[in-house]
Amino acid sequence: MTEIKFKLNGKKQVIKSNPNRRLLDVLREDFDLTGSKEGCGEGECGACSVLLNGQIANSCCIPLANVDGQDIVTIEGFSKTKEYQVIKDSFAEAGGVQCGFCTPGMIIATQSLLNENPHPSDYEIKIGLSGNLCRCTGYNLIIKSVKLAAKDGDDLW
Amino acid sequence: MKDISKSINKVDNEEKISGQAKYVADYKMDGMLYAMTKRSTIAKGEIVKIEYPELPEGYYIIDHKDVQGKNIIKVIFEDWPVFTDKQITYLYEPIMLVIGPDKSVIVDILDKIKITYKENKPIFEWTDSVIDYHFDKGQGNRAFDNVDKVIEHTYQTGYQEQAYIEPQGFIGYPEGEKTTLLGSIQCPYYVKNAVIQALGEKNENVRVIQAHVGGAFGGKEEYPSLIGCQLAVAVKKIKKPIKLIFEREEDMLVTTKRHPSKTNFKAAIKDNKIVGLKAHVSIDAGATIGLSGVVLSRALLAVSGAYTFDHLDVSGNVYRTNTVPNGAFRGFGAPQMFFAVDMFIEHVGKELGYNPLDFRQKLLVKQGDRTSTNGLFRDPVLMPEMIQKAIDESDYKNKIKKYSQEKNFKGIGMSLFFHGCGFTGSGEKNIIKAKVRLKKTKDDKVHILVAAVDMGQGIKTTFRKLIAHMLDLDIEKVVFNNPDTDFVPDSGPTVASRTMMIVGGLLARAAKEMKSRWVENDFTVEKEYEQPDYIEYDELHFVGDAYPAYSWGVNIVEVEVDPVTYQVYIKKSWSVYDVGKAIDEKIVMGQADGGLAQGLAYGYLEVMNHKDGKIMQKNMTDYIIPTAMDMSEMETYLFDNPYAFGPYGAKGVGELPLIGGPAAIAKAIENAIGKTVYKIPVTPEYIMELMNND
Amino acid sequence: MVKTHIAKTLNNALEILNSGTYRIVAGGTDMLIQNRSHTGLPIAYKDDVIYINLIDELDYIKEDSKNIYIGATTRLETILRSEKAPNILKDIIHEMAGPGIRHTATLAGNIGNASPAGDSLVALYVLGASIKCQSIDNTRTVKIMDFIQGVRKIDLKSNEMITEIIIAKQDFTRVIFKKVAPRLSDAISKLSFVGAIKIIDNIVEDFRIALGAVSITVVRNEEIENKYRGMPLQEFKDNIDSVISDYEPIIKPIDDQRSNKEYRKHVALNLIKDFIIKS
Repeated sequence: MTEIKFKLNGKKQVIKSNPNRRLLDVLREDFDLTGSKEGCGEGECGACSVLLNGQIANSCCIPLANVDGQDIVTIEGFSKTKEYQVIKDSFAEAGGVQCGFCTPGMIIATQSLLNENPHPSDYEIKIGLSGNLCRCTGYNLIIKSVKLAAKDGDDLW
Repeated sequence: MKDISKSINKVDNEEKISGQAKYVADYKMDGMLYAMTKRSTIAKGEIVKIEYPELPEGYYIIDHKDVQGKNIIKVIFEDWPVFTDKQITYLYEPIMLVIGPDKSVIVDILDKIKITYKENKPIFEWTDSVIDYHFDKGQGNRAFDNVDKVIEHTYQTGYQEQAYIEPQGFIGYPEGEKTTLLGSIQCPYYVKNAVIQALGEKNENVRVIQAHVGGAFGGKEEYPSLIGCQLAVAVKKIKKPIKLIFEREEDMLVTTKRHPSKTNFKAAIKDNKIVGLKAHVSIDAGATIGLSGVVLSRALLAVSGAYTFDHLDVSGNVYRTNTVPNGAFRGFGAPQMFFAVDMFIEHVGKELGYNPLDFRQKLLVKQGDRTSTNGLFRDPVLMPEMIQKAIDESDYKNKIKKYSQEKNFKGIGMSLFFHGCGFTGSGEKNIIKAKVRLKKTKDDKVHILVAAVDMGQGIKTTFRKLIAHMLDLDIEKVVFNNPDTDFVPDSGPTVASRTMMIVGGLLARAAKEMKSRWVENDFTVEKEYEQPDYIEYDELHFVGDAYPAYSWGVNIVEVEVDPVTYQVYIKKSWSVYDVGKAIDEKIVMGQADGGLAQGLAYGYLEVMNHKDGKIMQKNMTDYIIPTAMDMSEMETYLFDNPYAFGPYGAKGVGELPLIGGPAAIAKAIENAIGKTVYKIPVTPEYIMELMNND
Repeated sequence: MVKTHIAKTLNNALEILNSGTYRIVAGGTDMLIQNRSHTGLPIAYKDDVIYINLIDELDYIKEDSKNIYIGATTRLETILRSEKAPNILKDIIHEMAGPGIRHTATLAGNIGNASPAGDSLVALYVLGASIKCQSIDNTRTVKIMDFIQGVRKIDLKSNEMITEIIIAKQDFTRVIFKKVAPRLSDAISKLSFVGAIKIIDNIVEDFRIALGAVSITVVRNEEIENKYRGMPLQEFKDNIDSVISDYEPIIKPIDDQRSNKEYRKHVALNLIKDFIIKS
């Protein structure tokens, strides 16, 4: 058991746990934050994406040990922000949501991308989403959603 | 009156985008236990002996001995045990569940269970035929008498894995006498009826609830009945909540996949025209038959593709092998057949010296033509106009000529196809007998009570929109919750592109009656499926109208092949669909994009094979589905062609956009490399073979 | 249960490494998957573990007149965005995995994993990179070609860790990287290729080829390269068949779930040919 101190969705947390647990399990089981999903367990599908220090990371591949001193934001925490409102509206408007399982990860990917690059080209959007798999949409409407978010949130990022 | 096709924002966007929507793995219950499965380590043989470790307190093993009803899953063909009692017919066949509170202990127990097998030689070759179909149209084989020549080719298709991003799973729990299952499923009543049979239970003592479904594509059509039954047996005995969620590798190794196929086509040629067609289709069922007979039927029914031929000799076999059982996947036999037939007709056209597009256009189905089983294409067929639209938007004619001449490894290809909407054959009338209910409550709200599952295709929105439109209500006043068999009638499975056309059609009839009775306060309207009386089908002899309606499609795809690495890059695609009437245009566009992505990937990207019965691509790293980088811009156009019995004229949408993808990309690759393609996926390895075999 | 240490300073890490045998985990993107257990269960490491990703002092990219220095805990995405990193390395990292992985994975981790399909290794072989290994009482530098000895086999003593990757500043007329993978992102390579050539006054002053996933380690053969160094460019191009037959026997790929040996070999040779033709 190790003491791990980190910031989770804006709040300081101190937990005593096995540092070899995956961050994804800690989020889903200890904190009831089930918005991050397990789709593959090996860092391929991105359904487990969270923001690590503001950047997208696959929580199924992060050991709790490496979370010490870091800033983690899950979809639940991100959904309280202004940026989220813009992204949420654009995904709804453009039709980028079907079964919804990849969606929280896509939202996180969008935020991570726009945070670094507020006006991405189509190619840059594809790269930003390249670690998130979707089986329902064929990606086009998700790319449209991100473009719309970039356009609508022009001074947020 | 507002046009119903006009898009609205989906009603479930908020909960899904925010991460609040709960999928089965997200649920926790007090005192919940976990279940994990012990599976065979051989492909064929029998269990001789099982040695169990001592079980710690609170841990259980559930196997065939605990099945109180029939140890058989209720599926179309019942040959799938809940738990095998002795015979092993495929690698990783489920033998028992180990259940308890701590997964690490379960893993330890699983490890310590020692099973001794008597191994037999597994059959992987397609030799054990378990279903044999044959039918003729017109003169059948006699059309091959006195012909000038016969052109023959064989086409092959591989496995395709549904690869829904959410793996399969259930939570089962007791509610008094009741056994309740909450799961990621397409067919609540399939699961309920299977569980009733496995438990030997009364109807009212089994309840199945749909959790949010993270993608299904047919993979959660019949397979959940297996794990549902296993879990139900466990819950009934242990009387505690139990969670059974597959991890990706297990899901990929053991759940059903698209049937691999091999189709041999022969064309009888006289006066440089096709005067008869003979086809033989073989599909690999894996270890159990399940619904393979219906998959084969759908494939056979599509034998003449988007074309009319007067004389057909059609046969097919389902082969049983000692591999993972195969099952439903969007298209259900049609993708396999449309790849084969659309390639074949193009190849024959070329070999006879025609421009393939002209050749195919002359053979296109017209309204009034007879189907492959002498049914009738009763409704207008807009294919000529749809093809023209696709050609205009893509500049197909100029490009195909240019690419053939320039030999620059650029190519363009066009596929033509239809999808029969609804359950194949007399299924709707004889097996499903769908029932729907609409309930008006005192607060002037209307509740939709059906067993149809929203798995991403958007019926939560389109059904509510449909009823709101018909009753002239605000959509907020229409309620449609995830189906719970305690509250909804059996409107049939969410499969076969039947949901809007058939179930929606029934809801529309119910809404019509409700509207006329609107003054009443609190009442329920129930409607049951009535087959239009002109639809008659003799399933045994393959004669008549196999489907009440057809949706049509054209796909054009442009690719570039890298001559150094043989990799395929998709540049752009253009699609035109006739789905009758879009109940929501944006939602139909989403289905079109997603279906085409799966169809194209089936054609060039998704590789799955087995070695000695073991699936070699067992995770998302090895089984390659497209990423955002791989897919191209897709342009889609819809043609209205209202169908009399569909709500607002709607026909089936869900499967159509996948059907044409493989042939379109295979043809584009042919155009790019100047070689002929006979199998999918058209991988770089296959392209290299083709280009180096001169 | 395994012993787990979380090191926050280099010194602490070296002390711990000196006290026992530990598996070093940086970002964890390889280690967590290789040692996976089940959903909800901790990672099933078979050895005691030391986590090093929190050692901030090793998170850097520095340069001087001769070399570029990349610290062991520098994330792939950081390298991707740095102006100091060599372009060829950035081109390769750009196509590795996806953004999520790149934000936690490290170059050192990729090297330590020593996978035959490790993309970054191909660039490092061509660049002739060196690996700095430190223990509590020793520092040494090893050329990457000597450091990687086989599949997941590296020349690292049990009390050592990789602390830095050193890449000499060098320029080429043309450097080409090609990753041949089943799809365009998020994929393990079927094979990968880096070709680098320096042409001065129409003479091939320098010529380097490295191939990944076609043998148990990255394939780079300086003997073959030396054969053609100093050759006039046109003669070099005319001798393309000779180059191919030199490389053919050292390209020994395997069949696996991703591809087969015929394809890997054929495409590897195609890539070499194509690179020379276009030079």
